[in-house]
Order: sequence, then C-alpha cells, then structure tokens
Amino acid sequence: MNPFWSMSTSSVRKRPEAEEKTLTGELRTSPPRASAKKQLPSIPKNAVPITKPASPAPSSQSTNGTHASYGPFYLEYSLLAEFTLVVKQKLPGVYVQPSYRSALMWFGVIFIRHGLYQDGVFKFTVYIPDNYPDGDCPRLVFDLPVFHPLVDPMSGELDVKRAFAKWRRNHNHIWQVLMYARRVFYKIDTTSPLNPEAAVLYEKDIQLFKSKVVDSVKLCSSHLFDQPKVEDPYAIVFSPWNPAIHDEAREKMLTQKKKPEDQHCKSMHVSGLSWVKPGSVQPFSKEEKTMPT
Amino acid sequence: MMSTGTSISKNRQAVSLQGVDPETCMIVFRTHWAQVLKILEKHDPLKNTQAKYGAIPPDEASTVQNYVEHMLFLMIEEQAKDASMGPILEFVVSENIMEKLFLWSLRREFTDETKIEQLKMYEMLVTQSHQPLLHHKPILKPLMMLLSSCSGTATPAVEAELVVLLNQLCSIIAKDPSILELFFHTSEDQGAANFLIFSLLIPFIHREGRVGQQARDALLFIMSLSAENNVVANHIAENTYFCPVLATGLSGLYSSLPTKLEEKGDEWHCLLKDDWLLSPALVQFMNSLEFCNAVIQVAHPLIRNQLVNYIYNGFLVPVMAPALHKVTVEEVMTTTAYLDLFLRSVSEPALLKIFLRFILLHRHENVHILDTLTSRINTPFQLCVVSLALFRTLIGLHCEDVMLQLVLRYLIPCNHMMLSQRLAVKERDCYSVSAAKLLALTPVCCSTGITLTLESQEKAYILWTKAAQTKDSCRGTSESTCIVECGRAVDISYLQYLWEAQEAILQCLKDCKVWSAFYDGENPDPDTFIQTLAEENSKDVEHPMFHLQQRTPSMCSSSQITPFSEKMQLELEWDDSYDTGISAGSDVSSPHPYDDQGSTEMQLPAEPPKHIQEMKKNAIMLIKGSYIEESDFQDDVMVYRLCAQKDAQDDDNSEKKTLNVARKHRVESQTVNNGPLANSQLEMDLDEHSKRNSSLTQGITKEQTNQKMIAVDPQPDLELKPAPQDADRNLNIRLLSTDGEDFIAQYDKIIKELDPNSASLEEQKLGTPGPVSPAEEEEDFENFSADTPSAESMSSPFGPKEDFFPKHAARSQSAPFTGPFISVVLSKLENMLENSLHVNLLLIGIITQLASYPQPLLRSFLLNTNMVFQPSVRSLYQVLASVKNKIEHFASIEKDFPGLLLQAQQYLLFRVDTSDAAEELLTKGNIQPDSSAGKGRSLSEASPAILQPFLGHKGKKSLALPSLPVHVRNAVLAAALFPEFLKELAALAQEHSILCYKILGDFEDYY
Repeated sequence: MNPFWSMSTSSVRKRPEAEEKTLTGELRTSPPRASAKKQLPSIPKNAVPITKPASPAPSSQSTNGTHASYGPFYLEYSLLAEFTLVVKQKLPGVYVQPSYRSALMWFGVIFIRHGLYQDGVFKFTVYIPDNYPDGDCPRLVFDLPVFHPLVDPMSGELDVKRAFAKWRRNHNHIWQVLMYARRVFYKIDTTSPLNPEAAVLYEKDIQLFKSKVVDSVKLCSSHLFDQPKVEDPYAIVFSPWNPAIHDEAREKMLTQKKKPEDQHCKSMHVSGLSWVKPGSVQPFSKEEKTMPT
Repeated sequence: MMSTGTSISKNRQAVSLQGVDPETCMIVFRTHWAQVLKILEKHDPLKNTQAKYGAIPPDEASTVQNYVEHMLFLMIEEQAKDASMGPILEFVVSENIMEKLFLWSLRREFTDETKIEQLKMYEMLVTQSHQPLLHHKPILKPLMMLLSSCSGTATPAVEAELVVLLNQLCSIIAKDPSILELFFHTSEDQGAANFLIFSLLIPFIHREGRVGQQARDALLFIMSLSAENNVVANHIAENTYFCPVLATGLSGLYSSLPTKLEEKGDEWHCLLKDDWLLSPALVQFMNSLEFCNAVIQVAHPLIRNQLVNYIYNGFLVPVMAPALHKVTVEEVMTTTAYLDLFLRSVSEPALLKIFLRFILLHRHENVHILDTLTSRINTPFQLCVVSLALFRTLIGLHCEDVMLQLVLRYLIPCNHMMLSQRLAVKERDCYSVSAAKLLALTPVCCSTGITLTLESQEKAYILWTKAAQTKDSCRGTSESTCIVECGRAVDISYLQYLWEAQEAILQCLKDCKVWSAFYDGENPDPDTFIQTLAEENSKDVEHPMFHLQQRTPSMCSSSQITPFSEKMQLELEWDDSYDTGISAGSDVSSPHPYDDQGSTEMQLPAEPPKHIQEMKKNAIMLIKGSYIEESDFQDDVMVYRLCAQKDAQDDDNSEKKTLNVARKHRVESQTVNNGPLANSQLEMDLDEHSKRNSSLTQGITKEQTNQKMIAVDPQPDLELKPAPQDADRNLNIRLLSTDGEDFIAQYDKIIKELDPNSASLEEQKLGTPGPVSPAEEEEDFENFSADTPSAESMSSPFGPKEDFFPKHAARSQSAPFTGPFISVVLSKLENMLENSLHVNLLLIGIITQLASYPQPLLRSFLLNTNMVFQPSVRSLYQVLASVKNKIEHFASIEKDFPGLLLQAQQYLLFRVDTSDAAEELLTKGNIQPDSSAGKGRSLSEASPAILQPFLGHKGKKSLALPSLPVHVRNAVLAAALFPEFLKELAALAQEHSILCYKILGDFEDYY
C-alpha cells in the first residue's frame, strides 16, 4: 500500500544559484544531528526565514532613533527560536520547514504510524500571526481536509484554538501546536467538532468512520506527489523514489553518526583547551595522559 | 691550501664517470692510494723513526691532497650493485683509509683549516655518495673522532661547517633510523658522551642566524626520531643537558630583550609580528621559543615533559615572574606585552598549558600572577591597555581552565543571583527581550548623526550586494536570505553584528566541546562546589608533577578580596579602591548616578572609604605638582606602586617563605632526577618538607605579628598623610641626583621606605578602627564565615596555606562576588567616557568575547537582562545603564554634541579603512587566525564594506577630533562607540537564543 516515496525539499534545486549557496552554507553550519533515528532526511535546521511582516509598519525615519527599526529582528529571532525548539523536540513523524518568503508561514507534514489514521501522510501549513508572540495562536491548515472531527471539512483548518484558547508568550510554543496536531489523530475528541459528521460517526458508527478515514488517508496519499499549494522554494515536495538521487542521500543518513571532529583535520588553531578533570573545579586537575594532543 | 671540497666539486663539473668501467676506477683508486700511503708512511712515526712530528713539506701535503680528492670523487661516484658494497668502498673499509687520512691530518698541524677541510669532505661523502657509508665502522669511527675533536672551542668558521655536517647527519639518521644504533655504539669507543652528534648540537640551540637555524633543524630531526625510539628519548632526557639548556637559554635570551619598548603611540597595545621582527633580540628569543614549541610537538613524551618542566621552573617562575613585577610601569608593561606575544605564538597545548598554569596558579610574592595582571587593568597607564590585550588573548583561547579561574569559579556557586533565579540560568530568551532591553539603552542623543539604515529598495539593493560580497569572503552567512522590505528602515550594520555574533558563538561552542562541564548552574553543582574544592585541594599536594603551589581556590589573595570581610561585605564588589582617578578628567569623581535603577542600595557604597581617596588624591597631587610634564616613569612608579599596594597587603609572608623553600628544594631535586620519573622521590621530599615548613612558618608568623603590631600601633590618625609626603620628599631628594640605571635601584629604595607606611594605611582602610592583632582578626573572620564545617576540618599538609582557604571559601559563599576580573572590567567600563578610545575598544572586545561563551552561567550573567542579582552584584546591564546616563548627561552639557558626535562617527568609520589594512598585519604568528583579530575592532568597524559609502571615499583624513580637549574627545568617542557596543551585545543575545540548543544537542552526541 505504501508507495516507496521519499520526502525531500527537492525544490531547492530549482532555486537560483545564489540562494542555493546560502542554503548549503546553512546546512554546513548545522552539524549532523541525530537524524538517524528518523526515517526521513532531516530538514535544514538552520534555514533562515525572511522577515516579511504582513502589515507594512509605518516606515520609521532614521531620525526617529535606531532602535525603532529592530522590530523585524526581534520577530525573526523569536520565530527562529521557536523553530529551534521544534527541532529540539523531535516530535515523532512531524516535520516542518519555514517558508522561504516569510518566517510567519511554515510548511509541514505529519506521518501517522499507528491507530485509526495509520499510514496517513498529511501535509499542512502553519500560519503565525505577525504580532507573534502577543497575538492569537497560530493556525494550522491541512492541505487536504482530513476526515476528522476537529478538522474543518471545507478549509482543512485544524481547531487549534480549543487547545490554546489564549496564546501566552513564554508558555505556549509552536511545537506544542504541532504536538497537538499529531495527537488529535491518536486520541480522538468529538466535543464541539468542526466536522460534525465525523464526530457523530465516530460516536455512533465507528466502522463507517473507519472506512471514511481510510478513504481520506488514501486520498491524501494519492495527492502526495502533487505540486505544493503555495509556490515557495522551501515548500515540502514529495517525489517518487529515484535511486539516482535518494540512494546516496539515504546512505549518507545511515553513516552520518561519525563525529564531525574526525573530519576536521588538526588545524593550527589552538583553541578549546581544557585540563579540568570532569567533576572537578580545579584548573589543571586532569591527569597528564589525557591531555589533549 | 685549497680546500678539498671545493676543488672536488670543480672537478666533478668537468668530469663525468658515466660509462667508465668500474674496474678501471678501482685500479685508479688503488694506485692513488698507494701513492698517498707512501707519503703517509714516510711520516708515520711508528713506521718511520725518522719522521718528525709536524714537519711535513708542503709539496707532499698537496700531493696527498690531490690524490685524496680524486679518490673521494671515485668513491662518491661508485654505484653499488644490489646490497653489497662496491669494490672501492670495500677497499676503503678494509684498508681503513678514512681513519688513516684522519690521522694524517692530525699529524700535520690540526688547524681550523684542516678541520674545515675534513668536515667538508665528510659532508660531501655523506650527502653525495651513492651508497650508504655510515653503516661502516671504518668510516663512521674517524668521522666521530673528527666530530669530537671539533667540540669544545671552535672558531665560527669551524662551527658553521660542523653544524652543516651535523645537520646532514641528522637528516640521514631521520631517514634511516638503523644508523642511529651505530652512532650509539661507536661512541662507546670514544668514551665521550654517548650520542655525540646530539651533544654537539646542543650548544647551538640558541644561536642566531643560519648556524642556529641549522642546528635547531637538525635537533628537530632527532626529536621526531625520539618519539618512536625510547632509547634515544631516554638518553636525551637522562644523559644530556638538552632540556635544561633549551629552557634556561630562554631565560638568557629573555634577559637581553629590551626592557623598554620604543614609543608606539597610544594606539599600541600588543606586539605584532611586524613589531618584533624589528628587534633582533626578540627575533632570537622567538626563534628559540618556536623551537621549544616544535620540540614539544614532535618529541617523545619523556622529553616533552622534561622540557615543559624546565621551562616552567627555569624560565617562567624565575624569570617571567619577577619581570612581571619590575619596578617601573614601563618595564612591567613591556613584560606584559612579551607574555601576550608568547601566548599568541605558542601553539602546542603542552607548552601553552604551562604558560597558562604559570599565569593562573603561580604566586609571586604570595600573589597570583593572574590577580596581579587583573589589578593592572585599573591602572591609568598604557599598562592597562597592554594588560587588557593580554586578557583578550587569554579569553580568546577558549580554555576552560582560564575561564574557570577568571570568571566561572565565582559564578558556579550561583550566589550572585537571587535563589529563585537559579532555574533561570538555563532559560533562553525566546523573544529577544534582552536584546530589546539592551538596544533600548541607546541614548536618545546618539541616534542622530550617521545612522546606517536602509530606506529605499534601490539603496537596499546596492548595499545588499556589498554585504553579500563581504559575506562570501567569510564563508556563507545567514543574512543574505533576509530581504529587507521596501520602505522599511533597517539598521544595516546590525546584520553584520548578527553575523559576527553567530560566528563567534559557533566557534566558541565548537571549542568548548572539550570542556569538562556545562557550567549551567547545575553542573558543576553549586552546592557541592565548595566541598569539591576542599577535597581537591587536599589531594592536590600529592599529585602533580610540578609540585607547584596550587592556587587555593576561591581565595583571591590579592587586592580585590580582603581578608577583613566585615567591611567588605557592606561594600560593593567594586574595585574602586585602586582606581587612582588619574585618568583624564576624573579628578572630580562624582558618585555613580544610578537614577534609572532606583536602587538606593546601589548608591551608598559606590566609593572607597574617604581616607583612601584622600590618600590617593594626595599622592596624585603631589606627583602632579612636582613633575607636571611627563617626567617619564617617576610618577608612574609612585602611582603604580600605590595602586598595587593592595597586592602586597595580603602579605601572609609565612606562606611565601614556605613556598620559596619548597620551590627551591623542588628545583634542586629536579635537576638531579629528571621529570616525572622522580615523582615518588619528590613526594617524599615534599612530605618531609611540609613538616619542616610548618615549624618554620610558625616562627615567621610570630615575627610578622610583631611587625604588624609595630606598624599599626603608632597614632593611627597621623598615618594617613605621612606616606605621600615622605614619598615626595624622598623623591625630590633623589631626583636631583639621579641618572641612568641608578634610578631603578633608588626607586626600589623609595618604595621600600614607603612600604611600611602604606601597609599600615591598608590596614586602616580595611576598617579595623584601632590596632588589632592578627589573632583577633582571625577570630572575627571565623565568626563571619560560619558554615563550612567540612572545609574547616580538612587536614592541611601545607599548614598555613590550607588554613587560609576555608575561610575564603566561606566568604565567597556568603558575600556575593563575581570575581575580581569581572568587577574590574565592569568598573573600567563604567568609566567609558573617561577612557581613551583604545581602552574602550579593548574593553568592548573583551566583554563581547566573554559574552560569546555559550556557558549558561556566563551568558545569563552578562546578557540576560531579566536576571535578578544580589544587591551587591552589579550586572553588565546596570553598568551600561549607568554609562547611558553619563552620555546623556554629557550630551546635555556639551554645546555642540550632535556635531561632535558626527565627527566622532566619521573618525571611527575612517579608522575602519585604515585598520582594515592593518588587519592583515595582525597575523599573530601562526596561531589563532580567527580569534578575532580583534574583537576590539569588530565594533564600530564592523561592516567596513558597507560603511564606506558614507565616507565620501575616505578623501578627508579626518583626524580624531583634533581640536578638542582630551576629556571631551574621549567622551564623544565613547558616545559614538556605545550604541555600536549595544548592538554587538544585542546581536550576541539574539544569536544565543537560537544557538544555545546546540550545546545540549551536540553534547548528547558526544557523551
């Protein structure tokens, strides 16, 4: 049943050269991480989204003081920080990638590995309000409306609000939204549904519900290779398995565990020294033999 | 007489033996030898009784010479078939021809010329022969005899030739280590030193010029050989003076370095390669240091350890330590600059380690070098700049031990913050709150002038490409994806700061992977910190091969922490006590304005006790009055000494003596037994010693006590003024008659005369109202430091020293203190408006370097503006706020502030251009390519390519606001720097917020 697909941000190749350079530059700076656990290539951890506030703020005059102009930086770094938190969470089966055009829009895909929605692969987009983190909670919209009590059958939007009635900075983070999006497929909640049909079926006729879910999962899978809804270089694109491209990538992933230090041949640069014995707070407490060479 | 070597090479050019029948050659060789032998035997006293010693007719000598030349030529050209010797070589070996020839040259007068001749002959044989010669004893033996005959006194010409030959031999040995055996064996016959070619090279280690270089290269061959050959390593370590010569040679060379550097202008702060290449003495020293570095890199661990030990005990401790404590500011400054240069030039961790160990743990006259260096930051001289540069180097090493001693040890207990804040240490600033707060400190008055903002798409585009170009040259950046929206003003330079911040943090993260702990408020555990220290301290005495006096942890013996803590706990940790106030315009030192803090606690104790201020003022005024013009170092000495008084205040001399004795003994024992092998023995020695010491120190302590009583006793009230007056009188008297070198000696005297007085002053200041006997002090002290039973009960093999420690530890637990370094840097920073531009650049460089460290303890202390600290602890943020107020105040009283600011900004931009070129010169030897050739520069010079357009093509060489009085000029420049500094810090805070996840992520992978 499962197509032998792979996911990649293959659209990278379509981008102009200059941008590609930056991306690879970015990739380089992020050390290979423990992605071996996962089945899929890790998304670029450090891709830098751009700042594009939806509402053009009144352009501040230069005479108006410099700090007036730092707003975009704060927003951008807030979102970057959120993104690094997502990466750190390593939510099973959930992948996101900020859009190239706006840091406020993230592309994502969720893999359901067991339960009613097993084998489901649902692409979605997260929309973050531009007054983040002081605004409403982010919206999460599935590309195709999944048959689910909490997913709007028309728009595909997930009812995020019920979990984050009020978005509180410092307490709420975007990874929680993603975790919530994953959980709804494992633990189904039917109270005040956006899709009453699904809710009722789940309560009254679980068999029919199940078959509808299977249909929905199939539908999503059949559209997997479609072009992304939004045209964006960082949009998540699926393509059939192509050994020419993917074999090598898979190989890389499986052998990625090498310490990056090994590749770094001894440089002349002296730095990063320590003679402190672990557990000690005394300088030069390390035994002679364990001295760094 | 023509030398053999040259004539042969002449022949060789003409003749080629290509294709000549080997047998013919053999026949020619034999007939030549027959001729030679005839003459040789004629003059051999054993064979010819009539032969007269020394009287050889010149014609016969030249005949031999000619024949030999031809013979050698034939021998060199002989091609060996398979592994066996060629017939000529075989003949040479069986007839022992080489030895006979050597004896012949001995028989004639063995002049330098003949020596050179022979040396050249062998060099040619060895390097040009087609078959290996050295395997044959009949060739090797006369060679060794020749070499040993050349040892001892030789003329430069012979030496040069000798070293060339030795160098060749070494390179052959390095290629074919099997020959090495032979060199050892043959020397048995000699009875002389075992490994002759090695021993012969040793005297040339420190030679300058080509000879020295060749000798060092040759030795390096042997050194790399030793790494794999234990016999060689053992021999060198045990039977030769290689290591001691190398190490003590450094001392010798150091002593010939200039003690005073020529005037470099006030911008100068460290020795760059261009500087030291101009000084032959320094070049020579650097060559030797480089050689040590190379030896340590390639040699066997045995040799490495021994050498490192000797450098420590034979150079750093006996030479560098006193040099760092010379009398004049000038000398001390020079030494500091040297030390900085050495640190930057040493690349081998083992060597760097002892330099750092020396700086961090060694005590000179009972004060840690580190503390002395720290205290100098607060001097008003160029010395401060040089010291700052040294610290910049130290911090740039990203060495855990350095950071531990300098900063982290004071932060580990976490008592600089409110208890509730401990959890916040690891917190990250998701929403750039800290960055926003830092940037909000930008004084309103500074936002005029040059602001580098983008407002239109067109401009954005132009500047954009520029930014991209810079970026390419420094490998990839993140900004390029950040497209600035049309019509929106964005600070361009801030992008550059972000990029640099990211670079710095990533580099630091990478380097800190080898660190032993996270320093995140949990590891090391704040609560067990003291305990661990105590345990380690007791252990320490037993183990290390250095037998150094370990720094008793958390006890900062010098200036900043005074043992008399009752007073101190009320004060800020501020180290104003030796801010002499000489720095420009600060004579009227106003109380620190903390208006915006609204914290009254902060305001109270901002200044040192009145009488100390008075003392300082008096001293300064007297000095200024007497010698207004820059009277060289006289006033420096005075003030500097007064500044450093506190260093000496902690004068538990008993300890010093103990250590001295111990050290002497150590050195002795080490010269006898080399290095670590002797450990067990040494330990015994030490044990014995500590017993002896304890009795010894008791005596001394008593003596001390008496002295103190005397010093303090007489009329405490009157003691405040005499010191400076005396000083003045003394100075005046001496000055009339001083000249030349006597100066130093006399100043020493003056200082000594001053000392007792000032020492008592110290005691005064420290707040014991009347004379107090040390015993009482101790008691008070104990009362104060209540709760460290575990530490107290510790046994102390070193007696007094250990006694000292627990109390200090206790103190550090109860009286929040972020360490002398932080406090002195922050206090200096607070005076930003009075500091010269260069001091500020270095300070800013150091603080940004510190703020690049990923350790949560450090990051939270410096960059988290939401942390709540103990009232006595000042944060960077508070200091910055204070500077902001000062700038705003200054702007309000200075008439044309906006105009001046603009000029200052233009000047700073102009500097970017020039310093950009200078940047390339800052190659710092071979190390630390990116440890920021100056973090000092990154500020305000941050984005050269971007900033240039504003300069109008650097056409006008705007000089640094020439017309202004110094204090206005400094203040304006500081005001121009300040907003840039804030941006730099904010950028670091922002980058930390997105990079800090890497710490855990990566460590997980590693551990």
